[in-house]
Amino acid sequence: MKEDIKLAKWLAGEMDEKELKEFESLPEFDTYRKIAEYSAQLQAPETDTDRLYNAITEKREAPKTKVVKLHQPWLVRIAAVLIIALCLTFVLYTNNTTTQIAQAGEKTEFLLPDKSAVVLNSGSEAEFKSWNWNKKRSIDLKGEAYFRVAKGKTFDVNTPLGKVTVVGTQFNVKARDNRFDVTCFEGKVKVTYKSQEVFLTPGESITFEDGEEITIPETQAAQPGWMNNEVTFVSEKPENIIKEIERHYAVKIELDKNVSLSPENVFTGTLPMNELDTTLAFFTDKYHLKAKKTGKGTVILSVE
Amino acid sequence: MKNNSISNICEELIFSNFFKTHVKTLKNYLYYKFGNEERAEDVTQEAFIKLWENCANVPPEKAKSFIYTVANNASLNHIAHQKVVLEYAKRHNGPTSSSESPEFIMEEDQFKVKLQKAIAGLSEAQRTAFLMHRIDGKKYYEIAEILGISVKAVEKRIHGALLELRKEIENFR
Repeated sequence: MKEDIKLAKWLAGEMDEKELKEFESLPEFDTYRKIAEYSAQLQAPETDTDRLYNAITEKREAPKTKVVKLHQPWLVRIAAVLIIALCLTFVLYTNNTTTQIAQAGEKTEFLLPDKSAVVLNSGSEAEFKSWNWNKKRSIDLKGEAYFRVAKGKTFDVNTPLGKVTVVGTQFNVKARDNRFDVTCFEGKVKVTYKSQEVFLTPGESITFEDGEEITIPETQAAQPGWMNNEVTFVSEKPENIIKEIERHYAVKIELDKNVSLSPENVFTGTLPMNELDTTLAFFTDKYHLKAKKTGKGTVILSVE
Repeated sequence: MKNNSISNICEELIFSNFFKTHVKTLKNYLYYKFGNEERAEDVTQEAFIKLWENCANVPPEKAKSFIYTVANNASLNHIAHQKVVLEYAKRHNGPTSSSESPEFIMEEDQFKVKLQKAIAGLSEAQRTAFLMHRIDGKKYYEIAEILGISVKAVEKRIHGALLELRKEIENFR
C-alpha cells in the first residue's frame, strides 16, 4: 500500500485484514481511532433550506435566452474558408476573359458562347468574357474580323477607333491604326465613330480615316474578300497596304531609301492574296517598284 | 437513457428539486472552506442564482459541476479565512460515557477540544476533504467529483489530514 494514502484507506475501511492488524498494533493507532470517532460527531451549522430558496427566488433574474454554442468552432472556420474560396472562384470565373489571336500569316475562327462565329484576320486579337454572355454580348477587337452574329440581344464590337452594334447579322469590322472600316453583309449594323452614328444595310460600308469619312461603293459580296484571299481596297494608303501584306504573309517589307510612297497616292482595287509573288507583282506594278526577297522572310522594295 | 431535453433547469419544479438535493452539501463545503457561515450562504445563493439565470445553457447533467464552479470562482475575490470551528452534536452517542470514570470523560473532552482546534489548523484542501468525509459522509469519489480532482488526490488529502491532526493533538500534550 502506498504510504501517502495509507491512512485514507484505513479511514474508508479499505485495508485488508493483514494490513489492518498491522495498523492496529501501532502505538498511534489509538489516536487515529479517536480522531475518526469524534470527528464524525462534529456538525456543520444548520441550513434553513426554505429560507434560502425564497431568498434565491427573490434575487434571481429571468433566465437568459439559449445561447446556441457551436461546440465545434473549427466548423465555423472551415465554412468561412470555403465561402471565401467560393467567392474568389466566382469572381475569377465571372471575370474570366477569353482571348483569341490570329498571328501574322494566320486566320483564326472561333465561336462565341451563343454560337456566333468570328473569323479573325491576320494580326488581330479579340477579347470577350463568356460569363453572362446571353445578357450582354460584348467583344473587344484589335485589327480585323468578320462576324456572323446569332440572333439575340445586342452584340457590341468595341475597337480603339469606334464601336459596332448589331442584332443578329453578318458584318466585317476593320480597325487598323487610324482607319475604321465596317461592311454590312446581312441584317442591320449600327456604327458609332466618335460622336457619329451610322446605320448600314447589306452591301453598305462605312469608312473613317483620321476623322474623315471615305465613300465606299456598295458591294455584292456575301463575305469580306480577305476570307477568300482577295482583298479589296478603296482609297487605301500604300503604307497600309504594305502592312496588310506583311500581316497576311508574315513577312517583313522594307523600303529602299530611294522609295517614297506618298499617302495621297491611294490604291483602289483588289489584290489577290493567295501567293506573295502575285501580290507583290500587283503592288509593285501600281507603284513602279521592284521587289526582291532576301530569303530571311524579308522583302525589299526599291525603285524600278 | 431518456433524453431530457424538454425538462431542463428552467422549470421551477426541476430547479427546486435540484436545489433541495444539493444545497446542504454545497453550503457545508463552503463553510468548511471559509469558516464563515454568512459568507457560505452568500456564495451558495450566488451559485444557485447563476444556475437559474443560465438554465437555458446548462444541461441538467452539468448543473452540479456548474454550481461548484461558480462557488469556487466566487470565493476567489475574498476576505481572510476565518478559523473553522465546528461544534459537536449535542447528543452523546454510545453507552461508553456512562460506564467510564470522570477522569476518562474529562480526558476525552480535552481530546475533543484539541481535535476541534487541530481541524481549524488544517489547510483548506485537507480540511474540506476531511470534513466532507467525516461530517457529510461523502465517499471519496463523491468528494473527488465535487472538488474536481482525482480520487487519489482526495486520498492524499485525507491521509495528510489524519497525519496532521495526530501530530497536532500529540503536540498539545
